[in-house]
Amino acid sequence: MDIDLSADDLAFRTDVREFLTRNAYKPGTDYMAWRSEWFTKAAAKGGWDVPKWPKAFGGPGWTPTQHYIWEQETATAALPFDMPFGVGMLAPILMGYGSKEQQERFMPDIRARRINWCQGYSEPGAGSDLASLKTKAELSADGKTYTVNGTKIWTTAAHMADWIFCLTRTSDTGKRQEGITFLLFPMKQPGIEVKPIITLGGSHTVNMVHITNVKVPVENRIGEEGQGWTYAKGLLQHERTGLAGISRSLVALEKLKEQAGSIKRGNGSLMDDPAFRAKVAALEVDLMALEFTELRSLAAASAGGALGPESSIMKLKGTEIQQRIAKLTVEAGGIYSAGWGHPVGPKFARNGMAGYLSSRAYTIYGGASEVQKDVIAKNVLGIKSGKK
Amino acid sequence: MNFDLSSEQQLLQDSVQRFVKDNYSLEARIAITDVEPGFNKAHWKTIAELGWLALPFAEADGGFGGGPIETMLLMEAFGKGLVVEPYLASIVLGGGAMRRGAPKALNDMILPGVIDGTRQLAFGYAEEQARFDLEDVVTTARADGTGFVLNGTKSVVQNAATADHIVVSARTSGGQADRDGISLFLIDAKAEGVERDNYPTVDGLRASEVKLTNVRVGRDRLIGEVGKGFGILQAVANDAILALSAEAVGAMEILYKDTVDYTQQRQQFGHPLAEFQVLQHRMVEMFMEYEQCKSLLFRATLESAQGAATAQRTIHALKHLIGKAGIFIAENAVQLHGGMGMTEELRVGHYFKRMLVIDAQFGNADHHLQQFAA
Repeated sequence: MDIDLSADDLAFRTDVREFLTRNAYKPGTDYMAWRSEWFTKAAAKGGWDVPKWPKAFGGPGWTPTQHYIWEQETATAALPFDMPFGVGMLAPILMGYGSKEQQERFMPDIRARRINWCQGYSEPGAGSDLASLKTKAELSADGKTYTVNGTKIWTTAAHMADWIFCLTRTSDTGKRQEGITFLLFPMKQPGIEVKPIITLGGSHTVNMVHITNVKVPVENRIGEEGQGWTYAKGLLQHERTGLAGISRSLVALEKLKEQAGSIKRGNGSLMDDPAFRAKVAALEVDLMALEFTELRSLAAASAGGALGPESSIMKLKGTEIQQRIAKLTVEAGGIYSAGWGHPVGPKFARNGMAGYLSSRAYTIYGGASEVQKDVIAKNVLGIKSGKK
Repeated sequence: MNFDLSSEQQLLQDSVQRFVKDNYSLEARIAITDVEPGFNKAHWKTIAELGWLALPFAEADGGFGGGPIETMLLMEAFGKGLVVEPYLASIVLGGGAMRRGAPKALNDMILPGVIDGTRQLAFGYAEEQARFDLEDVVTTARADGTGFVLNGTKSVVQNAATADHIVVSARTSGGQADRDGISLFLIDAKAEGVERDNYPTVDGLRASEVKLTNVRVGRDRLIGEVGKGFGILQAVANDAILALSAEAVGAMEILYKDTVDYTQQRQQFGHPLAEFQVLQHRMVEMFMEYEQCKSLLFRATLESAQGAATAQRTIHALKHLIGKAGIFIAENAVQLHGGMGMTEELRVGHYFKRMLVIDAQFGNADHHLQQFAA
């Protein structure tokens, strides 16, 4: 047991720092051109554009320590804007369950960020209870084409997506998890209607997606019919780990301390207020522990290939921490946090309440906290589910 | 960076776990704590023979040259059985002060006995008015001829009743709460002017109020330099926090796992209690707090082993979380065990008691949160 960085690790860190500095965005230049160039250059470093992909699929094959260094170094650097749906979510499913043809067809575009993906999981009647989804996919008599009908909801970035990976129901008999099929289809086609949903923070990130008689060729099905739940479930674990947002929280906490330190109270600042200071300190302690929970989880994953039981707590604790930071930011901003899209008061306080309101979604999406607890009780504590 | 144990560390962990499993059923523990001296002399001998008393001492002092990681492994396993043999008092505390600051002649005289288990130490650092502040010392040590004369009272000194020697902090100069001016001395427990008022603590361990009235010690019994004892005091306190936190993490594991087991057996309303979601979620919270404590224990221990500049702050963070989470887990373990949790017949109540005492030792959760934020 040790936390020393080896000479190789230190060299890697220098390499990462150099890369990030050399390729930082220069204000005033074309952002999208920079973004695509950044990913090309990162790819040329040996998979730095897809840090979590395994080596066999072009990833860097880093050790847990290297992942940790990357997280630390990129937390404060402005990386190009990226969505998790392609690289982080669909790609692992393609690697695990897609055919060779599907991998060759979709993964290059995912990696180059040429195609934007969205995730069609939740439905108006299927939220945390995802297995109750009803969007229907019917296979034609010749076995060549599915016809899809139904409605998806909370679909992040559907309005910007080129393609969707979608859970559909192909059978109503037997165990409901066994009648679910995983399909891929384009978003820009007749029969797909995207309606924006504006959430409490005033922003448009999620949508309702109506799907009417959309034809999907059978070669766009991942794996076998009826096995989609199994494929999606394996991924959720990874998604949930990613949602912990530890590096982001570390940066946000530092910012919060700096801001609160700039607010004058008597002879000192808001950071000298014992009640406020205690809340910030307790938050920091939890975050310090969670950083090591992540490291333990990475180490277990690299040793055994699977995520350790520690990983199960990361989404729960990580999202709770993000919400606490958002809430303390509101407290620090005082009444100016109430501003709604109008630039008044101290800069950090602007839209504070809006940001906090948006953060309330963190413990709802990706499996609500209560569902996470059910999962941990069953899979980690080994308690059979029963009476509610 | 890695979390794997070396083969020696793995061996140590295995053998301590085996010792605890073989010797520390609840009944066996109660049989030990019910009678004086409050620990089992045969166990102490076994622990010495297994070499564990030598762990943190330098090879030059007859030790194994182990560090915080080895102590963590041992104390975590001890925590699973609530081992009562005075390892913390004699080895981590008393021995910790000696190996850090005692002159070679004194170590040569005392440490061999400490390491072979024939001598025991205690550590008198606390005083009634000081609460958790190590630097708040009103016990005085007045230079007198070739030595010092000590007067004052040290509070809740663990293992003082059976210790052969007690390391005490006393003020040789400065004001009540000054860091400068504190000196450490090794006094004989039976020296003239040493009066011990012995009593059990709620967790079954033993402590004493140690009253010093004109106790004479020679200059050769000074640990560290005159007036510069605070650094040693603080280093020993840090070691103690790491050791107690490891013990607490071991105890937390038993508390949450016993609760999961018990609620799966206990039937109410026609179902095992564990099937009720409200209880499941509570147990998941207990499990999460345990994992977070374990993570922070690793962090603080590894930073200390590395000598990192951040170690002191992480130790404050650790003691805060251990106190807060330990009592949360213990309270809920008792709650979920229902009436049986309130009895002495089940383990959980005994672990609860130890968790309470651990929080109060070397600064509680609030104290360390303040230190962390300072």
